Amino acid sequence: MLESLKYIYSPPWHDTHIIGIAGSSGSGKTSVAARLVKQLNLPWVVVLSMDSFYKELNPAQSKLAFENNYDFDSPDAIDFDILVDRLQDLKAGRKAEIPVYSFEKHQREPEKSTTIYSCHVLILEGIFALYDPRVLELLDMKIFVDTDSDICLARRLARDVKSRGRDVRGALQQWHRFVKPNFELYVRPQMKNADIAIPRGIDNTTAINMVVKHIQRALNAKSEAHLKKIAELGERVLEKPLTDNVTILEQTPQLRGIHTILQDRMTSREDFIFYFDRLASLLVEKAMDRMTFTVQEIQTPQNRPYVGLRCASAICGVVILRSGGVFEVGLKRVVPDCKIGRLLLQSNMRTGEPELHHLKVPPNLGKHQVLLLDPQIASGAAALMAVRVLKDHGVEEKDIVFLTYMATKVGLGRLNAVFPEMKIVAAGLEQGWAARWIDEKYFGC
Amino acid sequence: MSAAQDTVVEGCAAAPIGPSYREPDEKPQATVSGKIKFDTVHVLPQTPQLIALLTIIRDQNTQRGDFIFYSNRIIRLLVEEGLNHLPVKEHEVTTPLGRTYAGVRFEGKICGVSIMRAGESMEQGLRDCCRSVRIGKILIQRDEETAQPKLFYHKLPNDIAERWVLLLDPMNATGGSASMAVEVLKSKGVAEERILFLNLIASPEGLEHFASKFPKLRVITAFIDEGLDDKNYIVPGLGDFGDRHFGTLND
Repeated sequence: MLESLKYIYSPPWHDTHIIGIAGSSGSGKTSVAARLVKQLNLPWVVVLSMDSFYKELNPAQSKLAFENNYDFDSPDAIDFDILVDRLQDLKAGRKAEIPVYSFEKHQREPEKSTTIYSCHVLILEGIFALYDPRVLELLDMKIFVDTDSDICLARRLARDVKSRGRDVRGALQQWHRFVKPNFELYVRPQMKNADIAIPRGIDNTTAINMVVKHIQRALNAKSEAHLKKIAELGERVLEKPLTDNVTILEQTPQLRGIHTILQDRMTSREDFIFYFDRLASLLVEKAMDRMTFTVQEIQTPQNRPYVGLRCASAICGVVILRSGGVFEVGLKRVVPDCKIGRLLLQSNMRTGEPELHHLKVPPNLGKHQVLLLDPQIASGAAALMAVRVLKDHGVEEKDIVFLTYMATKVGLGRLNAVFPEMKIVAAGLEQGWAARWIDEKYFGC
Repeated sequence: MSAAQDTVVEGCAAAPIGPSYREPDEKPQATVSGKIKFDTVHVLPQTPQLIALLTIIRDQNTQRGDFIFYSNRIIRLLVEEGLNHLPVKEHEVTTPLGRTYAGVRFEGKICGVSIMRAGESMEQGLRDCCRSVRIGKILIQRDEETAQPKLFYHKLPNDIAERWVLLLDPMNATGGSASMAVEVLKSKGVAEERILFLNLIASPEGLEHFASKFPKLRVITAFIDEGLDDKNYIVPGLGDFGDRHFGTLND
């Protein structure tokens, strides 16, 4: 137990930076959140609106709601239990399913949810973002947008009339009956929980710039810590021998011949693709040997029984783009109807830290045995992240086979130490660190 | 039959199958290839995946599309194993990253020769590994009068004597046609040690006959089966490979 505790990988979205933005209806919370997203300009900044967490209404409440007599501006309307639960998932770097609330039906959409995964910064925005003490506990920064209530009213009226089809009278009535009293009673008091109050909302560029700088500093510190941990892990795994779960193909004469053709810079792209595809088919065959099989008894055409095997569950390939795409021809030669998931990892030009840009996998991925494809393992940082993503999507570690063309000893060591149950199949060992080049030659750019 | 029994080290039998890191009770039990007492006979490693492929193509309920696809996968493995018996020469190259890589170069020209018609079903697998390989053909059929194999036709590369030959026939039952094909190749000047016979399933009798007749010729097979039935079909076998591949069975 202690041994395995020593080798832990935390993805950069672990300990998500969560920012709460509260303020009166019409104060400009949404605009401030949108401005933060725009200025941070990172794909993993996500805005979560508390509108998704309205409680499900019972028939009596529902009737009130349809008559505009239900108080949506009270904290009682919010399902804080689910909100806290989902925020805890995100904080821990796990996948969170966010309910979808329908304002037409005043109900949650059954069977529907939005998935949030791997965001580094989460902006929680809603009139009661700083209300529940359990939420406050999870927030890294608490912002209260403090806009003059006349302006709030004017914005609210304009919005209700223009986009929600209400008349001015009804909207004013709503304001006086619910919004205003609730603001005094519950919303404004949240200001004492805030780290920063932003007067004038979106117009206050100085305050917004300060917030952006603060988030950027926090992100940089996390990125450095992430890379440092991976480096430390590398030093420690070097003394640890690789286990049986790592297979390096036997270096037969044919394989050495293929390696030579692939490694030769003078090899044409046409030849490179042919030999790479040939090697890829062999590698996938080898990887298939690492899957779990069960007994299958059949009758031959001579009506004789034969006790054989079949694969225990369906196979899904997951390609780590862009490089992993070079294995797709080989994969289809071996498992033609294989489902294929994709994730795009890019190394940050400045820090070298891998970044998850895109992810699309079959919904029931956890029921598959997964072939994870990436032709090169250098530091192993991208590979660690990809495996973590699979595990977060319900795949058991023992059901993953990582397939690669060339891997460094340290990269393999990291993967093997952090995910000891996972199988790895490589065509060869790389001597020292090497830049990615295989996809460039294969795709010609 | 008696001679064969002397050379069979182990008949095909149930065995736990799986990689070394799995506990014995985690390995499913399935029937694996027999073993035979000839250094020149190479049986593919009996991995779970290979057994699963064989299970599909042996199954009488497997449709033709699947039969072709999955037998082709085994054939590629046979070809890859066969190619490993060809010579290579030290060869140094510079990598795209500017480093030196001490590798090898393939030596010697090769060609395929398929024993018609079933052997032709292995040509695709050969081409998947060797793009523009020359392929010769030999037609041998059973003479209805004598019940002996008879040579009807052959068309081979002119320079076959200078080449290594990958001889293709998926089922090696009695070894009769394969022996005749080898005689044809030898008569064209091909050295026995330069012939590699690739086949999917062999009978112990056929292999025994073939391997003792051509002691320098290498055989690569995926599975040594139980034996032959009274019609000289391999059992449990997979039926008539040519019929199942080309779709010429009665429906």
